[in-house]
Amino acid sequence: MILGVTIITLSVLVNQITKNTFTKNNPNLDVVVGAKGSPLQLVLSSIHHIDIPTGNISYKNAKKIMKHPAIKFGVPISLGDNFQNYRIVGTDKKFLKLYDAELEIGSMWEKPMQSVIGSNVANFTKLKIDKFFVGSHGLIDTGDIHSEQPYKVVGILKKTGTILDNLIITSLDSVWNLHSNQNDILKNSDSLEVTALLLKYKNKTSVFSFPRLINKNTSMQAASPNLEISKLFKLTGGAHKIINYLSIIIVSLSFAGILFTLLNNINERKYDLAILRTLGFTRERIFSIILIEGMTISILGSFIGLILGGIVYKCIEFFSLLGRNIVTGQLDFIYEILTIWFVILIISFLTCLIPCIKVYKQNIRNTLLNS
Amino acid sequence: MLICENLSFSIDGHKLFSNIDFKIKKEKDLLITGPSGIGKTTLLSVLCGLQIPTEGSIRYNDISLYSLSENKIDEFRGKQLGIVFQSFNLINTFTIKQNLQIANTAEGSRDTDNLYDLLERVGLADKSHIKVSNLSIGEKQRVAVARAFIGQPKWIFCDEPTSSLDDKNTDIITNLIKEESLRHKASLILITHDKRVQSILNFNEILRLGEEL
Repeated sequence: MILGVTIITLSVLVNQITKNTFTKNNPNLDVVVGAKGSPLQLVLSSIHHIDIPTGNISYKNAKKIMKHPAIKFGVPISLGDNFQNYRIVGTDKKFLKLYDAELEIGSMWEKPMQSVIGSNVANFTKLKIDKFFVGSHGLIDTGDIHSEQPYKVVGILKKTGTILDNLIITSLDSVWNLHSNQNDILKNSDSLEVTALLLKYKNKTSVFSFPRLINKNTSMQAASPNLEISKLFKLTGGAHKIINYLSIIIVSLSFAGILFTLLNNINERKYDLAILRTLGFTRERIFSIILIEGMTISILGSFIGLILGGIVYKCIEFFSLLGRNIVTGQLDFIYEILTIWFVILIISFLTCLIPCIKVYKQNIRNTLLNS
Repeated sequence: MLICENLSFSIDGHKLFSNIDFKIKKEKDLLITGPSGIGKTTLLSVLCGLQIPTEGSIRYNDISLYSLSENKIDEFRGKQLGIVFQSFNLINTFTIKQNLQIANTAEGSRDTDNLYDLLERVGLADKSHIKVSNLSIGEKQRVAVARAFIGQPKWIFCDEPTSSLDDKNTDIITNLIKEESLRHKASLILITHDKRVQSILNFNEILRLGEEL
């Protein structure tokens, strides 16, 4: 019972929370443009920040795309560094508007190497306003640091419940400064690159035509975040179903276990139960004793399973890098888990009725004689 | 008063006993005797509401036992009757104290003072923590007697209480049953074919089953 409910709880938590996280992380973006490669990888890396980017695209081309008549607005982002595994995102200030972000304290960046940080970054790294930190090259902490050019924290954002809480936001210039030769930047702005372009259409009629235009006519690719994430869920849905079937089998086995344990118990104790009847215990009273015994096993087992499932999930979230980008504090899954628990308890109740009815029908005189 | 009228019992069409009539007044005792297999134990089961008679009625004062529902019979047995079974019918995995406590619970009382009092009188107070399975036959019999008197029952039924005891323990158990039933002002209905018991106890009434009728 404990194992089955643990797996079910874990499965529900992982499924629900990742779905919610993916939904909340996407601020209604219609399309992402980036270097050619896997479209899912592009979406995961540029919106959900859980994969490595497919490459870079020319900033000059990015600006052209942003001016396309089908595009309402676009936000370029440039990835490449992290601080204690929190990604540093070079972008412009429109990026913060996508998430309706507000400053908790401090101000927006005005110069290169100034940054604002998400609330989780502030909480976990203990970075404060006017503190300096050094970015590490790559998207996970490798120790390869840009010690020559530290970032300064100028603002801390209010909690948004999105991926923004886990990001360090700075200007595109800051990223270019760190990764390019300063003279090159001044001499030839055509050499500047960004990782991706987050775009919104003017109207939805461009849903099919615009990505085709990019994919066919440029060296870049356009990917729809909603389409790619639903593809991802279709891919993982099979595994998720298998896990669910497995947990249903385990829970069913535990019901059978409870049934046989109770039947075995009452078979071993039928003499004792008959003695209780001779002492004045009514059939109903003995029926309720057996029922309480069975339900105690079910309630305790399933409750421990729920708690263990929650603990295992929290451990995965805490110890994995992927877990850092999970939006915590969601309670939407509670109803699903409580429903599952309720169903388990109903089936347990029905299972326990079988031995209870057997005890109810017991002939005490015959039982005492046979014993 | 306990009144049995026209009491008969059959198993698979075979009459075990028939037309038994007797009355026992309050605080008076009855000895039921007869050879083995004559139906003494079955009669006790019928009198205690554990087996429905084929015919006849049993009345405890104003209560007609078998006109009650099965639950009410169970409750009546728990509150009004104390039974010492021939095979003790103790819960072997429980301690002495637990066996008495469960009887106390069945009777509906939470007061445990009388448990220690009873254990003291049957000489098992210092062994109350011992499991019944570890007791001698004599000790088990004493636990069964103590348990029968829990809840101040008005009717005590004993089925061959000394069948597996030696002379010394027979004296102890028989005297204990007599003393306790007197103390509790309970009527004693004792089934035995043991002449030793009959010689110790002075019964008001004797019911002879079988060829001794």
